[in-house]
Amino acid sequence: MKFDLSILAKHIPFLLEGAWLTFQACLLAVIGSLVVGLLVAAARTSASPLLNRLSAIYVDIFRNIPFIVQLFFFYFGLPEIGIYIDAFTTGVIAMSVAGGAFTSDVIRSGILAIDPGIIEAAQVSGLRKSTILRKIVMPIALRASVRPLGSVFINLILTSSILSTITLNELTGSAKIVASQTFRPFEVYFVLLVAYAALTWFVSILISMLHRYLNRNQAEGAV
Amino acid sequence: MIGITGLRKSFGAATVLNGIDLEIRQGEVVSVLGSSGSGKSTLIRCINGLEKIDAGRITVDGFDVSKPRDLAEARKRSGTVFQLFNLYPHMTAVQNIALAPVEVLKVPRKEAEAEARRLLQQVGLSERADAYPAQLSGGQRQRVGICRALAMKPSYLLLDEVTSALDPEMTAEVLSILANLAKGGTTMVFVTHEIEFARSISSRIAFLDKGQMIADLPTEEFFSDKGMALPRVAQFLSKMRKD
Repeated sequence: MKFDLSILAKHIPFLLEGAWLTFQACLLAVIGSLVVGLLVAAARTSASPLLNRLSAIYVDIFRNIPFIVQLFFFYFGLPEIGIYIDAFTTGVIAMSVAGGAFTSDVIRSGILAIDPGIIEAAQVSGLRKSTILRKIVMPIALRASVRPLGSVFINLILTSSILSTITLNELTGSAKIVASQTFRPFEVYFVLLVAYAALTWFVSILISMLHRYLNRNQAEGAV
Repeated sequence: MIGITGLRKSFGAATVLNGIDLEIRQGEVVSVLGSSGSGKSTLIRCINGLEKIDAGRITVDGFDVSKPRDLAEARKRSGTVFQLFNLYPHMTAVQNIALAPVEVLKVPRKEAEAEARRLLQQVGLSERADAYPAQLSGGQRQRVGICRALAMKPSYLLLDEVTSALDPEMTAEVLSILANLAKGGTTMVFVTHEIEFARSISSRIAFLDKGQMIADLPTEEFFSDKGMALPRVAQFLSKMRKD
């Protein structure tokens, strides 16, 4: 067998369509899981025992079930009780919910690492709880969490390939179709491999830049 | 006026404050002295509501700090400066100072930041106004901490061992600012180990020992025969002077 990428040329538009879908789903899921993670982390560190308990249960459930099972439950299970959601929306919701469990854990440890004295200073200056959360707690916790959040997001991007199992022709889904049409799985999956590696490499560079930018003034002695 | 009557506070089995009565009137500078563990810092933390009190009553201008609704009002009237500065690390000096005026007093941001710069100028830090806490020395951080408390225009300034984390040079920096504030008539509750300094700026000295206030005297009386007549005070002062 000869390794020949040129045979994929005419399938490139189709693969790019898949890549575009992957990009959209991942971007929405990253935003979704960040929002879910912030809310759940706030709930887990709040003073309310009820919120603590509920958010801990959520994290435990979604971290301890394989993503593909969650996805099948949402896509194939829910219609049985009358809830129909299209494949793309299902994928984004499932990734946001599953990813949110992991991001909330990262953000929570960022919150717990904040020097209590800083919070006390904010309290005695009369700031309201919600203001302290928005202006002090979350900005500090997020700065500390950029790198570990990056790992979670990269994992989320890799996980998005599983969406191909619910009829969504994102990058992996369209690659499967091309492979079965061309009978050249080696070339097709080689390209897929490079595509995912490039995507996550690009994201990890972005994360590093973001980390450096957000923490640019935090080094001792830096002027 | 800050009024404290019958204040008790325990942590588990340890009683830290055991029946404290103290009054601080507008314009007074009251230094709270005592050995480590005598409850000085806890006293400050009770006044600003960071610790829940077990018994007794603390009022700031009539607002009872143990009532949640009153606490917000009480906190508007007092400003706290901390031993370890506790600046917000992600904000510049100006932002640290302007945050509470903007959020709590609803001062327009521009005005609050101009006021912050004016305060920083007063403490000799106008050139460091846009620096982040990590870029400042300890003494500079504490000066920002003082400005942050002053920006709320508090009736009372609560100072919790504000120079304990600083070297002698930086301590001098911070103390000279406090001396100016005292001269300007700012009411202060000053928890400290800087005895000579306390003597020079205070109108009154309160001495805590094992959770009890064993002396509450005008400064000159405290450092004269009257204070020395109390064995615990005499012992404390003689030890501190030797250092």
